[in-house]
This record gives sequence, structure tokens and C-alpha cells, in this order.
Amino acid sequence: MNDRAVDLHDVQGNIIKAYPRFGFPRARYLFFRINDAKAGRGFLAKLLPLITTSAPWLKEGNAADGSARPDVATNVAFTFEGLRRLGVPQASLQSFPEAFASGMKARRAILGDDGPSAPDKWDAVWQDPDPVHLFVAICGGTFEQIQRCHDRILALRGASADAIQLLDGHRGPDGQKLPYQDASAIFINDEVTPREHFGYADGISNPFFKGSLADSSNVVGGGKRRGAGGWEPLETGEFLLGYADEAFEYPAAPVPNLLGDNGTYLVYRKLHENVGSFESYLNEASAAYPGGREMLAAKLAGRWRNGAPLVRYPTEASANQFGEEWARAKKQIAESRGVERERAKRHFSKLNESMVDFDYTEDPAGGRCPIGAHARRVNPRSALEYGEQGAFARPDALSNRRRILRRGMPYGDSRDRTDDQGEHGVIFMALGADIARQFEFVQQQWINYGNDFRRANDKDPLLGNHEQDTGRFLIESDPHAAHPPHFCSKIRRFVETRGGDYFFVPSLTALHMIADGIVDPT
Amino acid sequence: MSNHSDRAYGLMVLCPLRSETGQDQSPEAFLRDFLNDLPQHELSPMAAVPNTYLCRFFVLNDVVYQGKPAALDHLKSKYLAFVAEIHAPEESDVDEYLRLMWKLAGGGGFVPKAWQYCLGFESVTNADQFVEYMRRCQIQTTLYFNGSTDEPLAEQLKALYLKQEFTRFAYEHQGLPPAALQDAFRAFAARVRPSAATPTWRPGASSLATAVIE
Amino acid sequence: MSNIAGKAYAMNLVTPLTELTADFNKVVFFGLEIPLFKDKLEGLLTLSMIHYARWSIVRPSEFPRVSAAQPAEELNYNYMFFFSNFNGSWAQYVDSFSAAIPDGLNSLWHNNIGWPKAVPQQPFHSYVNDNQLWTNHYYSAYPMAASNDVKAAKQVKDELREFIEDTLQDAPDQFSRKYHALLKRLQDSLSCMAETPIVSLAHQAVVEQCRVDEGIV
Repeated sequence: MNDRAVDLHDVQGNIIKAYPRFGFPRARYLFFRINDAKAGRGFLAKLLPLITTSAPWLKEGNAADGSARPDVATNVAFTFEGLRRLGVPQASLQSFPEAFASGMKARRAILGDDGPSAPDKWDAVWQDPDPVHLFVAICGGTFEQIQRCHDRILALRGASADAIQLLDGHRGPDGQKLPYQDASAIFINDEVTPREHFGYADGISNPFFKGSLADSSNVVGGGKRRGAGGWEPLETGEFLLGYADEAFEYPAAPVPNLLGDNGTYLVYRKLHENVGSFESYLNEASAAYPGGREMLAAKLAGRWRNGAPLVRYPTEASANQFGEEWARAKKQIAESRGVERERAKRHFSKLNESMVDFDYTEDPAGGRCPIGAHARRVNPRSALEYGEQGAFARPDALSNRRRILRRGMPYGDSRDRTDDQGEHGVIFMALGADIARQFEFVQQQWINYGNDFRRANDKDPLLGNHEQDTGRFLIESDPHAAHPPHFCSKIRRFVETRGGDYFFVPSLTALHMIADGIVDPT
Repeated sequence: MSNHSDRAYGLMVLCPLRSETGQDQSPEAFLRDFLNDLPQHELSPMAAVPNTYLCRFFVLNDVVYQGKPAALDHLKSKYLAFVAEIHAPEESDVDEYLRLMWKLAGGGGFVPKAWQYCLGFESVTNADQFVEYMRRCQIQTTLYFNGSTDEPLAEQLKALYLKQEFTRFAYEHQGLPPAALQDAFRAFAARVRPSAATPTWRPGASSLATAVIE
Repeated sequence: MSNIAGKAYAMNLVTPLTELTADFNKVVFFGLEIPLFKDKLEGLLTLSMIHYARWSIVRPSEFPRVSAAQPAEELNYNYMFFFSNFNGSWAQYVDSFSAAIPDGLNSLWHNNIGWPKAVPQQPFHSYVNDNQLWTNHYYSAYPMAASNDVKAAKQVKDELREFIEDTLQDAPDQFSRKYHALLKRLQDSLSCMAETPIVSLAHQAVVEQCRVDEGIV
């Protein structure tokens, strides 16, 4: 298809850029309720100059055209109720999709947010029957920088502090109620890591689509399969409204066009991690598992803790070797110059590629990466063609329209590995053009259910909403190996929902229209 | 053209409805109400009819106008549609199925109630006449796709029961030494009786708590 | 009133086609049943979401007429009735077909009046929505089983019966070896079933209302 270039100045930055990779490993999330439409629009107008776009950052950039990397990155998003409160007209409102309009709490039956994940366990800010309207995300290098931006934004409200109500009720590290949610990459020895609290390297596989900034090496493993082998980018319209998508049309979008174009949807979920339960489960279950503790952890996730995929690195030794080589390569880049440095960078790049350049067609029986493992469930690649070459229009036909951009970060502290109760987990954020088709589908059909994998009602071992400790997970036996499959039972719910909602991330153009009150659907 | 896919059979019947009931509600409205109110799953009247894999009832009101330049079509009658996927290796098995449906659906008596609004049904008073009536209303299947199995329903239900029970056994008896494993398996086989008709899952079983018939 | 029975969904589509198209399509359908062309249905089999599905192309004269008193149908078109029993939500089903086997769909619905082709997805969704008839009573003999479960169950049943025969006289060590080999053969079929996940909030509301009405809370 002919590709229209994406207007990066019009697209909010958090869509195209994974900020932690740009030196912003910390974030603060603010949520507001707007009690007066006019004041709300006025506030939005004042926020506009602060909003970070997707314009590329250059070494010698300047602030005027957005090419200088700022101290903090700021972005905004609205719930359906937020758009309504700001005066977006009825016909436009009605043209938004059902899932977004209902909000995440109303969709809990579809998402499996029951029992320990039910709304009555959520942070107060999300339990409140009055809805959240506005989400302001500040990402930065340090919390000092973030605090400055935070203060500046609150001050923009001027005399309208009541009209633009900063919402309280995020559970903080000591159980206290805070008027914001902080998140941060996990640091080990003062170094940023991509880990989350169970110890896994997270966020490895992010979809690559036409017009997204990353250099083209990211297409490997991030895009869709190319017929002759290799990878190609996904269509922009899977992640941005107003562009052709994988179904050869423009995705359903709100009216008028300018309201939706260059915008997308964002799912925000505070996911608590029961670190203590997870550690003790690994201890108990690995006692009976011949492969040992680390291999068990890898089988649950589909990747070793350092991110090496089981399909490519089926043994602990090979994964460890990969990890060592990776660390060496990183060091080499830091310590070398000129041609040697370029070579080191290429080598490092190849190692990173090997983390994503694979397909499950190499492992159809699941002997390396279990069919129900987390990574295989949330992004099956070509697995759903079950090796029947040519059965589908393309082997990954059933996966390509279920991808999400992940932009979340961990929160809290988990140095006490026996602790379940403490505040620690992941602020999960998924972006895409269709909440129901992408995020909700994966959550409902692939995480909390197993039929597409021919695994009946089995759930994702890590993320599934297991009842009590009745969860089960099968570790398949390799066809050529002598040992039988291994049965893991008594899996308990390791991840619990603590709140969240569905947001719309408008383009800069749309933000101006909303702020000016000139959205007109006719 | 085939109603069969191996031993599975696609039965489709369209029975025209009477044009009035003598009351202030049309036959199709009565029928729709009646069908909508039927209990579900194991309590459905069709749960009692052997070899019913899946079946559905709906009222065919009219065909749908596609809009100009398509021509506007209307059906002159409304129809009770009964569409069933059944195990019936031969056409004669279909006749037998219909006889059993007359006799057993809803404990007997369901068919006359559901079909009471159908034209010409006043003359159906026994199983054989029911078979004849249904055959007269049958629509042939042009293409039948079987994405499942073609075994008798009792075999399918027994298989589902065994899958559930054996899966639990495998999970619960991992790592046992050979003698203990063999003993446990023998006890298991004695309980689930793989080659016997029972225990099994009841037709229409909708919850694990009540699925097993001993 | 429901299209859903546990894990199964009943879709009914009725679409018009000219007599000429009907005759042509019948030949195509007939061809699909010949072993030579059966692999055209392979995509359907790999999708694995369907229990049973069928197509019936009906002439106006083939609408059942039980008595002379009943007026004969006079229609401009022939009609194709499509009935499917599938697993998953409506959207998942329609999307999967559109994404995975659009050519197959275009053959099966070739030249039906108003058929928009299976890709792009939105017009295809509309076509299905507009021509879908709602089911008033839907029964599945196994609401807790998807088509995959029924097929896996057959594997388990057949293997289990054979295993018992084969190991009747075995000593424990021999038995244990064969048992583990059995587990290995059956590893794709050993997952427990339970009730369906909730795919439709509207349907769920109906289910809950029925429970309240029937006094089951």
C-alpha cells in the first residue's frame, strides 16, 4: 500500500516513543476530574505548549521545532466522560466505540477483573463512582525534574483549582493515599534495568509499524512475517487512527475525522504483583520439576529472566551464555571508540535481534516454549496456523490485529521477596486503534482462557485470573525427548488489578479543537 | 448435495406458520415468546432427545431487503425454523431421531406445544405423522462442514467426561513410583469405567458441579 | 432469546442470490466435497472454531408448502441459508474469517446480492449484522466444550481405552513407562474444561436476569 508519512508533530510522543529508552525511566501520573467545562477547556489550552510530540529528537535540536530532547515529556489523554464534560458534541461522543465509552470498570466481566481484582479492591481513586476525566503523564529522568513539571501544571489551573480537581486516592508505598501515581524502572546498582518485580526483563517485543520512529532494525520480530522470510512493519492504522490498517481500510474512528486522526486509545491498568506468592510458588513447584527453578520460571514466561526467548535458547546454559555476551557487548560499546565502537554496536544489535527474531513454527509441539507460556499467548506470531502452511492468507493472520504498543513501567519496591502486601507491580499501558479488538481480546481469549491454543480453559500462568490456587500449566515434552510432559498445579493469582480506565490520546490538532470548543461532527 | 458429513447430519426444517391465532397476538409472536422462555442447557426440551449435538429454533419472519438496485422480496408465510446437528449415519436414522423427538422432547409434549402454530399440524397426532410432516418441510443441505467429530452423542459426552477426569488424574498423580501409580490408575479406571456408558456428562451440562451422571 | 449456549454461538445468515448464481455456486459447493478439493476447506479446519456449519441454497419453489391453502412463495431471488455453531465471540469469529480465509469466504458467498467481499472488515461486519437472524432457543449438548475440546476428548477416550487393554498384564515398571508415553502422546489434549468466559456483556445481563427471575441467585 502507498504509505502516507505520519505527521510526527501532530502525534503525541508517548505513542511513538517508549520514553524509558530515551532516558526517561521515571514517571508520575496525574488524574483530574473537571467540574466546569469552560475552566476545563481553558486549562487544556494552557497545557498545550507543554505537550510532547513524536517529533524526532536530535543531538543539536532546538526547542522551537520540538527536536531538542526536553527535561520531561508530558502527554494527556481523556476518558469518554472526560470528553463529554469538556463539551465534545453528542454526535461525536456517540461515534466513539462501545468499549471506550463504557470505561474499564464496566468491562470487568470481559476482562476477568473478579475476586481479588474486582473494583472493590481497587485504589480509591478508581473505585470512586464519579469518573476520572483527564490523565496527565509526566516522564522524566529524575523525580526533581518531574516535581517541577508537576507543580507547574497544577499552577496552570490558576483560580480554577476546584474546577480542575486533582484526584486523590492512589495507594502509596506506605499505604497512604496520594494525589498521584509514581512509576519507575527498577534500578540495580544504580543502573536502569528493563526488569519488572517478578524478575523478568519486560517490554522486549513491541510492535513496529510504518511511520514509527525506531530504526528499521526494530522491524525484526516486531512487525509481521514477510512471505519469503523476514519481517515487515505492520500497517500504521493498527496503532493510529486515520491511516490504513491490516484490513485494508481506515480503522473505525470518531467523527469528525480531525478529532480522531493521529490519535489512539490507551488502556491504563495498575497491576499489583504478588511477589511473595510468586517466589514461594517457584520454590514449591521447582522441587518436583527436573529442569530446576530458573527453567521453571522461563517455561512460565516463555523467556528466561534475562529476556532470552526459549525458542532460541532452550537451555539454561545457552541463556546464561547469551546474558554474558550481551553484558560484554554493552561494556564494549562504552569502552571503545571509532570503528571498534561501530563494530561493537553492530554486534550488540545482533544480540538484541536474537531476542525477537524467532517464530513458533520452529517449535510447533511446544517442547521449547510451552504453548501456554505467557509470551507465546500474548503474541503467538505464526503459531495459530498450527504448521498448516498455506491454510491462512498469511501465517500470522490471526495475530497481526491483536498487537498492542506497551508503554507502562513498574512501580514500587520489591526488595522484600517474601512480601505480597506491599505496593509493587506494573503500571500497564497498552495503546492501539481498537481497545476491544486488541487489548480486551488478548486479555479475555488469550490470557484468561485457552481455546485458541487448544488448551480448553487453561489460563496464562503469570497473568491469568486463577481462582484461589487452582491454576494449571502444562510444560510440554519435546517430541524427541524421553521425558513426559510436566504438570504444574496449584497456581495462584500472581497479578491483581488495582484500578485503571480507558483513555483517548488525541492528536495535537484534536487537542486544539477540544480546547477551543469547536468540535463539529457535521 | 449432502445432508451428511460422515455420520453427522444437518437437519433443516422450515414449517410454515398459520396466519392468525384468533387472539390479539400473531402466531409468530406467540411462538417467539414460547421459544424465548424455554429453559436452557440440561433443562432444554432438546436435552432429552438422543444424538442431538446442537440445535436451534428461530422464527423466520421475512427475508432481508439489500436496498436498491436489489429487488424487494417478501415471504408470504412465516416459518418456524428448526436446525439441528445430529448423529444419524443413514436417512432412516433421521426418521428414528424425529420419532424420539416426538416422544421424548421436554418429557414428551414439547413438540405439539412448539408446533401448534404451524400450518397443517392439526393432523399430526403421532410420531409417524410427525416424521412425515417434518420430511415434507425439510430443506436439503448443499454443503455440510464438520469441524468436530461424527461419533454418537453418548460417545462424545463420555469422551468429554474422560478428558476432564483423566486430566485431573494426570495432574494429581505426577511423580508417583510405578507400583503406586499403577494402583492409583487401576482405581481411577474402576471409577470412570472408560468403556461403559456411565459415568458420563449429562447432555447440556452447563456447570461442573452438576455435569456428571453416575 | 439467545444466540449463545455456553461456549457455542449460533449464527444464522440468509442472503439473496440470483438463480444463475445459485446454480453456479452449487457446483462450487459440490466441488468442495470432492476429496480433490477438500483442502480448500483446510483453512476452516485450522481455524478450529466451528463445531458444525452448513450452507443450503434454496429456490423459491423449494420453500415448504404443506397445503394448497398456503400461498406459494413468489420471490425474485434464491436464498442461501448459512448456519454455524462456533466458539468465541461474534467479533472474533467474523474477524478471524476475514483475516485468515477471505478467499474462501468470497467463494462461498460468491455474488450474493450486496456481498461486499470479506476484506475490508467493516463493510463485511455490516453485511453479516444486517443479514443475521436471531436465534430464539439454542441448545448445545456440551456448553462447557468448544469444538477443540470435543476433538481432544475423542483422542483421550480412544487412547485411554487402548492403553487399558494394552497394559492389563504389565508389571509396574512396564506400566509406568507406557503411562508416561501415553501422557506424551496426549499432551495436547490434557486441559480441563469449565464454563465459558463472558464474551458478551449483553448476553451476560440476560443470563443474570434469568437467574433472578428463576429465583436462583
